[in-house]
Amino acid sequence: MGDYVDRGYHSVETVTLLVALKVRYRDRITILRGNHESRQITQVYGFYDECLRKYGNANIWKYFTDLFDYLPLTALVENQVFCLHGGLSPTLDTLDHIRALDRVQEVPHEGPMCDLLWSDPDDRCGWGISPRGAGYTFGQDISEQFNHTNGLNLVARAHQLVMEGFNWCHDQNVVTIFSAPNYCYRCGNMAAIMEVDEGMRKNFLQFEPAPRRGEPEVTRRTPDYFL
Amino acid sequence: MDPDVTAVPHMPSAAAQLPPPLPRPAAQAQTRITDGQALQRFLSSQAARNFMGFLLALNEAVRGKAASDPCHVSPAVEALLEMLATLSRWVDEVPPSQQSLRYGNPAYRVWAARVAGAAEELLAPVLGPALQAYAAELAAYLPGSFGNAQRIDYGTGHETAFAALLYCLANAGAVSEEDRQALVTRVFAAYLTLMRKVQTTYWLEPAGSHGVWGLDDYQFLPFLWGAAQLIGHPHIRPRSIHSADTLEACSSDYLYLAAVRFVRHVKKGPLAETSPMLSDISGVPTWDKVNKGMIKMYQVEVLSKLPIMQHFIFCSLFGDF
Repeated sequence: MGDYVDRGYHSVETVTLLVALKVRYRDRITILRGNHESRQITQVYGFYDECLRKYGNANIWKYFTDLFDYLPLTALVENQVFCLHGGLSPTLDTLDHIRALDRVQEVPHEGPMCDLLWSDPDDRCGWGISPRGAGYTFGQDISEQFNHTNGLNLVARAHQLVMEGFNWCHDQNVVTIFSAPNYCYRCGNMAAIMEVDEGMRKNFLQFEPAPRRGEPEVTRRTPDYFL
Repeated sequence: MDPDVTAVPHMPSAAAQLPPPLPRPAAQAQTRITDGQALQRFLSSQAARNFMGFLLALNEAVRGKAASDPCHVSPAVEALLEMLATLSRWVDEVPPSQQSLRYGNPAYRVWAARVAGAAEELLAPVLGPALQAYAAELAAYLPGSFGNAQRIDYGTGHETAFAALLYCLANAGAVSEEDRQALVTRVFAAYLTLMRKVQTTYWLEPAGSHGVWGLDDYQFLPFLWGAAQLIGHPHIRPRSIHSADTLEACSSDYLYLAAVRFVRHVKKGPLAETSPMLSDISGVPTWDKVNKGMIKMYQVEVLSKLPIMQHFIFCSLFGDF
């Protein structure tokens, strides 16, 4: 559900593994796009710096961000669980509206495609201005209406750090799932995966950071500013 | 012009004796950098040069100076320290709320609202009676110096807002050249202590952080001024940040070491992975080179970044561009 890159040390390895899994098991994995799968955002939040440092040039960053343009924005599980990175958009009432989007492009600053990757659920009803400066906040009334209109029973999304790794809201119309444990090496949060069984029952698997396999290899390279 | 002054023969003009006149206080301080072009105009302006000049003057003032070295402390500096102590007490009075599921704790908004509501009052003792006319404008820097209440985040832009407040106080004459050392080793050190308390109480999200690929999730200036403090130190070298003993023993004297110590305290994992930048810089041979690099880096990575500077506040004391 997006945000495979930025901020951590191993973004390029993480996204490479996901893409390799997609190539190997194309029908068993779906990689959705997050707001960080974008040229602009990755230049601000670390993935660009990481590629430059690890490879000495920005080619890898360019190849990946070109690929990100092709990632789907949303997915349906058994026509019941609607999965996406951010949230709903005031300009998208139905799933057909979403299917009609011209999505193979850099994430725009505004509009329906931007909203899907940037919006957040909120305690307040209706649509609200997002403090993020992109997307909207949406209330329980909006989530209920969207699920009802489209015959869904759940919106599963990510985009916000939640301490337990998952967090129900909007009277179980929306669930937030965050799968990066101890985010940025400091946040102390659990991570979670949502499992859906044959009977569409949801089960959450929480996990902590993997134990370390020894110290990393240290190669110090003096940043240009300090030469 | 005052005719009585010009009438006195053989006296230098009043303008030569007195500091340049203070600007007329503006009704409201405001953000001015709306796009990349405006940012470019700002960066090439006299106001930007003067601000950077102030940061460099503080840098020179603490070159080779430990916090425990003797230092002039004026009433204005004491008032600033008292203000920061008050804000720290307020953190104690506004505990984080327990039911929070998100990372940023909503109780931060209560604390921030209290700061915003009392900003003019908090600054009054710092400004003294003669400069009260500037209280309203300067108050605009206060909430922004400690994070963003709506997003519950904090980053180098907020730190820069606090530096801008100090710069405006200097321009107003509330603090003088004599105060420069104390502004870093006392006032800014107390500001950092407060921010670490705010960060670990309300868990503000890092604003616009490059994550592990940036210098630090939250701060920049303790590394810049902190490197200046260590120039010429007899045995602490840039590589000494890897010594836990050095960090423990010397953090109270040096901002750089305290900043690294805090990173090691809050981040789990080896420094080379959680903070590759700091780890890389530890290979630079001298603090002088570290300091010069930090100055270059601050201008590029903070002052030249639109996502940061679009929130930067201008008032009459800061100057126009």
